[in-house]
Amino acid sequence: MSDETLPDLDPVIHAQARLRVVSALSQLNEPDRIAFPRLQEILRMTAGNLSVHLRKLEDAGYVEVTKTHRGRTPATLVRLTRRGRFAFEEYVTALRSLLPPGGTP
Amino acid sequence: MASINDESSFEDPAEALRLIERERANLERELTPDPRWMYWPWGLAWLIGSGLLFLRYGPDGRVLADVPAWLPPTVQAGSVIIAGIITGVVGFRSGRQVAGPTSRQAAMYGFAWSISFTALSVIFARLSQVPPEETLGILWGGGMVALVGALYMAGAAVWNDRDMFVLGAWISGVNVIGVLLGPGWHALVIAVAGGGGLLVAGLVGWLRWR
Repeated sequence: MSDETLPDLDPVIHAQARLRVVSALSQLNEPDRIAFPRLQEILRMTAGNLSVHLRKLEDAGYVEVTKTHRGRTPATLVRLTRRGRFAFEEYVTALRSLLPPGGTP
Repeated sequence: MASINDESSFEDPAEALRLIERERANLERELTPDPRWMYWPWGLAWLIGSGLLFLRYGPDGRVLADVPAWLPPTVQAGSVIIAGIITGVVGFRSGRQVAGPTSRQAAMYGFAWSISFTALSVIFARLSQVPPEETLGILWGGGMVALVGALYMAGAAVWNDRDMFVLGAWISGVNVIGVLLGPGWHALVIAVAGGGGLLVAGLVGWLRWR
């Protein structure tokens, strides 16, 4: 872990796989949900891998996972919660503050 | 970047910011239909359909290409239906497995096209006996193209898409010019300026999207 080089970063988001998940979800409008298989396809992650990380994000209250039915087929829908969105924004702000001044915009 | 260790984090904040931007752009791209598939079928439909109408039913009753009278309207209608199916399927596919207000907006917009086109077709078909034959092209062509222009401008308002508004306004403008020029000329204006505008819109959209 690189906690020494990058202090005060949210450990839930500050892991490559979860950062990818949260970044992608943050691009959806707040009330919108995306089906698990579609998210998996877009992120190119395995189902098991994505489940593990979604569970961690769900435990932190950053992501809401809803099980529903579309006709007869069960569907799992994922959405970034308001809390998750806020944490993501904080995380991005923290990253920016760590950039060397005059560095990459 | 593709590390096996998922818990791996970053030494470099700039790298993390790049990853964020990449994932956001990637999701946006995945959920947005390819503009080429949304615009080019219509551009081609207008270019071919209206182009053929112009050649068969030219200005002042001139016949520039002596094809059977039924052919141009049939090609016109057929190519518009094909274009409608293509954009419907591509649009639906890009929004699949996403639920919520945004996909509802897109679905309502899609239905607005088919419902309003059907309504206008019924009205025009009902009126087909009334006006003199040479102005029928203006009624159908002018009316349908006006509807397309209006729907693009409305879509631009829904998605705050300036390019789409320019396209809608352009189509509306050249349509009025064509109608004022009269039968025959209208078909030429729609084929070249309207169809061309749609092809350009597809190209511009694709360059921004890819």
